[in-house]
Amino acid sequence: MSERVKLEEISAADFFYRNRSLAGFDNPVRATYTIIRELVENSLDAVELAGRSPKVLIVMREEREGGEESLPWYRIRVADNGIGMDPEEIPLAFGRVFVSSKYRLIQSRGTFGLGGTMALLYGQITTNMPFKITSAREGEPAYELTMMIDIRKNEPIILDKKIRGISRRSFTIVESTFEGNYPRAKRKIIDYLQQTAIVVPYISIAFMDPEGRLYIFPRSTEKIPPRPKEALFHPKGVDLELLQRLLSSTRTKSLESFLTTHFQRVGKKTANEVLKIAGLPPDKRPSDLTDGDIRRLYEALRSYKEFLPPDPSVLSPLGEELFESGIKKELQPEFVKAIQRPPSVYEAHPFIVEVAIAYGGLIKPTGDIQLYRYANKIPLLYDASSDVSYQVIKRIDWSIYGIKNPEDEPIAFFVHIVSTKVPFKTVGKEFIANVPEVAREIELGLRGCARELRIYLGRKRRKEMLLKRYELFRMYYELISWTLEEIIGERPPIENLIERIKGSLGDEDERE
Amino acid sequence: MRMSASDVKSRVLEIAREVAEAIKEGKFPELEYPPNTQRNIVFDERVGYIFKPTFYGKIKGSHSKSLRTLSGVLYGMSRALDHLENGLTMTKRDFYYLHKVERLKGTLFPEDQRETDARIILMELILGMPREAFSITSDPRGWIYGDIELIDRSGRVLKADQVGEMGYSVPPRPENIKFKRIGVKAVVAVEKVGPAKNMIELGIPEEKKIAIAILQGQASRSMRRFLRMLSDEGVPLAVLTDLSPWSLRIAATVIYNSINSAHIPHLAAPEARFIGILTRDVEDGFFKDYKFALEPLTQADYKAALDNKSLPNLQNEFWQKENDWFLQNKKKAELEIFKAMSPSAKTLKEYFIRYLSEKLEQHLGVSI
Repeated sequence: MSERVKLEEISAADFFYRNRSLAGFDNPVRATYTIIRELVENSLDAVELAGRSPKVLIVMREEREGGEESLPWYRIRVADNGIGMDPEEIPLAFGRVFVSSKYRLIQSRGTFGLGGTMALLYGQITTNMPFKITSAREGEPAYELTMMIDIRKNEPIILDKKIRGISRRSFTIVESTFEGNYPRAKRKIIDYLQQTAIVVPYISIAFMDPEGRLYIFPRSTEKIPPRPKEALFHPKGVDLELLQRLLSSTRTKSLESFLTTHFQRVGKKTANEVLKIAGLPPDKRPSDLTDGDIRRLYEALRSYKEFLPPDPSVLSPLGEELFESGIKKELQPEFVKAIQRPPSVYEAHPFIVEVAIAYGGLIKPTGDIQLYRYANKIPLLYDASSDVSYQVIKRIDWSIYGIKNPEDEPIAFFVHIVSTKVPFKTVGKEFIANVPEVAREIELGLRGCARELRIYLGRKRRKEMLLKRYELFRMYYELISWTLEEIIGERPPIENLIERIKGSLGDEDERE
Repeated sequence: MRMSASDVKSRVLEIAREVAEAIKEGKFPELEYPPNTQRNIVFDERVGYIFKPTFYGKIKGSHSKSLRTLSGVLYGMSRALDHLENGLTMTKRDFYYLHKVERLKGTLFPEDQRETDARIILMELILGMPREAFSITSDPRGWIYGDIELIDRSGRVLKADQVGEMGYSVPPRPENIKFKRIGVKAVVAVEKVGPAKNMIELGIPEEKKIAIAILQGQASRSMRRFLRMLSDEGVPLAVLTDLSPWSLRIAATVIYNSINSAHIPHLAAPEARFIGILTRDVEDGFFKDYKFALEPLTQADYKAALDNKSLPNLQNEFWQKENDWFLQNKKKAELEIFKAMSPSAKTLKEYFIRYLSEKLEQHLGVSI
């Protein structure tokens, strides 16, 4: 390098401030939606961990009216009965933007705290008002912290700290003021909450909006899906940067034990085979590796073919029963079928696809494909038509399942993908890329549901047909009976015959 | 075949009781009948179409489409009986309107008359009798003019050349007519009203001792029955039509009856002769110098000619040769061609007489 590039060091908070569009804050409408979403998701994570009649309550009101030139300010308050936080945790969790360590492999909604903090930061930037966190652990005092974030230093500034009485239950309340546009974000927010209610049927959600309207999404089940287990990385799922970090922080003394300790599916034999490919001695100290050594190790991990597939127990799918329960609760369909596909792998990332098809009830034909997409229990609301699920639905010939055209029928599709790394196509994380392995699982799942739907519709249509036939027969035989009375002066009772038709609902027409 | 009102009533009652019995027992009623399909119709040139049922169909009360037909037939019979008992007749149009009633909404209320017309045929097949027997009459169509004295249903004696300028109007049920005196050498059944009226107006029936029967298109059932009765009396019968694919059918229907009404006996007049217009009249006969007056065949005409190739009553060599002429020449000749030959009234009479004399002599051995 002949020229020295001057690098300006900026804090993480500063970085996000400058690139806020990346995180979904590009305009006031989108920001309003994103703030609610981020805070709600933090709460959902917290209540899932606590697990007792979980609920999340959102109250949003107009703090300052908008004018000709200015947008209104809103005060948002998100309360949950999740695990709560210790007072020392609070400033770090909310008062600092940090890239969460990736030293663990577990399915979660997102990187804990990051999005939530961004939401609070946005409020601070637009209104210069502090935010307030109140939280308690069960049986301990509740703390109320009023804070701001020092953007330059990426540090929390605690403006006020109050200690309240002993709390009987754990909870967290986050309050913030921001400049936004609720009327235009409203549709998206309600959609988001309803779609979330579908995928977390075990959590009650209530939302009081700035117009004074209360939306309640009560939970429909006591069941909570099992928590995902944490697991080691699969050797195919690490990138070079992660490998470097693992090497620099490991306490292991040899490369052989480094590989067996930090990765799943790697025993001594496998470790030695990989190291042989890399041309590195098994007893070499991880801290002694040169950049070239690290690259060779990385390439060996990539090229080695014999690893067992990754352990899917880190994943926490919803399960067919819960999925169906959520859909029934919100859409009251006459038919619903959910299918959980067996775990699968793409690029060494384990994933599970759960799909469902619902028909009728509150689902009405819209002239569009009605697709509800979820990634790790988060609804995806933007760019549906770019999503792999949309493309899969488009290429299936639905007529073989008794659906002439899914756009014109009361049918809704649900696709939930859980993975340690959801293959999002863009930074915006709004749609999933057309990864062949994922597409295949979605298609197989949807076809499975569709087969059941075909059976259901077949029965339903047949029943309707038989009922129609019964009505028709009753009408004609009443006419015949009357006609016969005109001819022979006596009206033959038709009850016997009509009973027989009723009894034979299900028999085939006798053909000529 | 004569059917008295009581014959009809007992047949209808028999069917109705059978249906009522089945319904009472909780069984699906069924009606068996011989359909008038080609399977049940044989053709014999000497007698025309003969209805010989070997195959029977069923109208089943267990089948939703068939059930509509079953109730339609029963309803039709109940109306027919009602009319019969009250001395009323009805036309096909009347029968159609008898279905456009409040109580039949959602069941037998018809979409159009074709539906109820088809049911009349079905009733004929089920009851084994012509529609006139159960009081459904066709609109009367057809006249006869000439020196014939007949006694009609009411017992009056009528002279067919003294009852109006087109002669005696053939009634819907000619069975009741008796012939008192027949003073004509032959009867010429003419397809078209115009030329037939001209023949009458020119005094040809009186002068040449023939009768002119006016078909007005396809001969009605009553007209065909009436012509058959005349033929049965030994009167030579000639058929004069256009030279067109349709007219071949008109002529053949008078002579052999049609598939549609094959189940009605005594409608064919196999002794009748088709005298023209023939293709040879146009090619090198009577009209050979008037080819310029031919009309082009329309698309429908051409299609009819194609269909004629498979009609059972047009299968013999003569009919097929006549028909092939249309397909080759794509032309037709109408009876009005006489007007093209002779725009003046004076010569028209001559032409008519010349043509009729030639033809009656040639085909029936009758000199006029």
